Amino acid sequence: MFGFLQKVVDYSREARDAAKYLLQGLEVTFDHMRRRPVTVQYPYEKLIPSERYRGRIHYEFDKCIACEVCVRVCPINLPVVDWVMNKETKKKELRNYSIDFGVCIFCGNCVEFCPTNCLSMTEEYELAAFDRHSLNFDNVALGRLPTSVTTDPSVKPLRELAYLPNGVVEPHDIQPDQPRAGKLPQEVLNSLKNGSNALASSSVQNNDSSSGQKKE
Amino acid sequence: MLSIYPIAPFVLLTPGIDLEFSFTEALIGFGLSPQLAHLLWLPLPMLLVLIGAVVGVLVTVWLERKVSAAAQQRIGPEYAGALGILQPMADGLKLLVKEDVIPHRADSLLFTLGPVLVLVPVVLSWLIVPFGQDLLISNVGVGIFLWIALSSIQPIGLLMSGYASNNKYSLLGGLRAAAQSISYEIPLALCVLAVVMMTNSLSTVDIVEQQNSSGLLTWNIWRQPVGFVIFWICALAECERLPFDLPEAEEELVAGYQTEYAGMKFALFYLGSYINLVLSALLVSVLYLGGWGFPIPVEWLAGLLRQPLESPFVQVFTASLGIVMTILKAYLLVFLAILLRWTTPRVRIDQLLDLGWKFLLPISLVNLLITAALKLVFPIAFGG
Repeated sequence: MFGFLQKVVDYSREARDAAKYLLQGLEVTFDHMRRRPVTVQYPYEKLIPSERYRGRIHYEFDKCIACEVCVRVCPINLPVVDWVMNKETKKKELRNYSIDFGVCIFCGNCVEFCPTNCLSMTEEYELAAFDRHSLNFDNVALGRLPTSVTTDPSVKPLRELAYLPNGVVEPHDIQPDQPRAGKLPQEVLNSLKNGSNALASSSVQNNDSSSGQKKE
Repeated sequence: MLSIYPIAPFVLLTPGIDLEFSFTEALIGFGLSPQLAHLLWLPLPMLLVLIGAVVGVLVTVWLERKVSAAAQQRIGPEYAGALGILQPMADGLKLLVKEDVIPHRADSLLFTLGPVLVLVPVVLSWLIVPFGQDLLISNVGVGIFLWIALSSIQPIGLLMSGYASNNKYSLLGGLRAAAQSISYEIPLALCVLAVVMMTNSLSTVDIVEQQNSSGLLTWNIWRQPVGFVIFWICALAECERLPFDLPEAEEELVAGYQTEYAGMKFALFYLGSYINLVLSALLVSVLYLGGWGFPIPVEWLAGLLRQPLESPFVQVFTASLGIVMTILKAYLLVFLAILLRWTTPRVRIDQLLDLGWKFLLPISLVNLLITAALKLVFPIAFGG
């Protein structure tokens, strides 16, 4: 008899707990209703890629010495370096250079190892095409400057979360001259150089120079 | 009371605006026979209810999408009309022009009949939803019982469409839907029975009338809190809303019994499920939240402002307030259902049947017995 009563008590406690947790869950869901949407309305609004964004690779033909380091460090030996040996000058003559972005994984090894810095990664990521062969960029296509979110008049650029002012999570309403939270690497370096006595004034510098932190 | 008067009592109670009478009178004045005039009147309320139900669904679909978006910190439909208000219309139009596919080796007759059998009882149930004292299609004496009877037709349609689709997911979904509807119908009916016991009437108008003697305080929710919760849970299960949406669990069953449906037949299912949701919300507000009643009785307000109850202004005001209150309460409940959708995880089939048979059924039985006992002990408070 006692065991049965205990069961009844346990069962009703479980039911009460279930109801309590359900109400707590409802509270959480309801609380989300008053938060602003995090949506970025893509074709009309775009996030500004960070400085170290690994987008489409830019290539400068004139700097290249055709050493093929990029090919060797590439996980799949992707860059095609088309050169011929000029017998008279005993130098390599570069004729063509191409990277197929349909196959590239944007790891950035080629950029890392290029001895003449003729390769660099851009912030361009809109590479959609109707034909996969058109993703095979030759040296002319690779040499084009990337499209920029901040200079496109038809796009509203939005800062990423890490680039927002301290305590702000909503990129829509902030002014472009509001500084990001924390210091830029250059400011950290400056404050280290100037020593600890300049540390107090660095916050003023921070405000002055941080409008330039947006990427071009 | 019903048996004393030879004609329905609501006509006697309030000599208000009787549209049917004036319409048929006008037609008879044009020289039509009374039978013909009545026949011409008949389709009008039907059409009205159909339009009302469909508009209610459109609003609910929009609300569902917007509230879901807000709960997930998205924006939701935005470009179709202001704030995406035309999005449900666009969805409906898309379904309207889609190809009507009947799968090879499916039973085409049952396949077509299934969605119809699901939708028709739900629309028919709107017959008994009152938006005001005279604002309902028909004050059937067995109103709420009619709804329970009609809602038991639905599982046949679901099973039919699941079986006729010639698809294992559809069959499983149909079986689940039938099991769910049947097992949740019983606690639902018991909760309704407790309310009916307190009202001494099955008519929805009487149920609301009896609740609105002194506004908010006399609503049934205070006398039947357990019944209210159980009724709402069972209504969600009957509508296959999220904690209980196993019949169309998209992760396991593709779309359950709807898997093979496309175009207008799918739209019938879609429409049916949303009409059912709105209907359930309306009935919860009728049974437990005082239906068309304002939290403060309109009679008191009229007395306070020294307006006679029979004046046309007060009549029109009361009617419109009744409609607004009914819809407001119903949509608050729909909102709660949407919130619940994004809060609760789906139950398993064994948990579903456990909850239905081993938890809700005994509790609703006890609730019924307690209501009966209280009715005997306190006949004043619990409808002697």
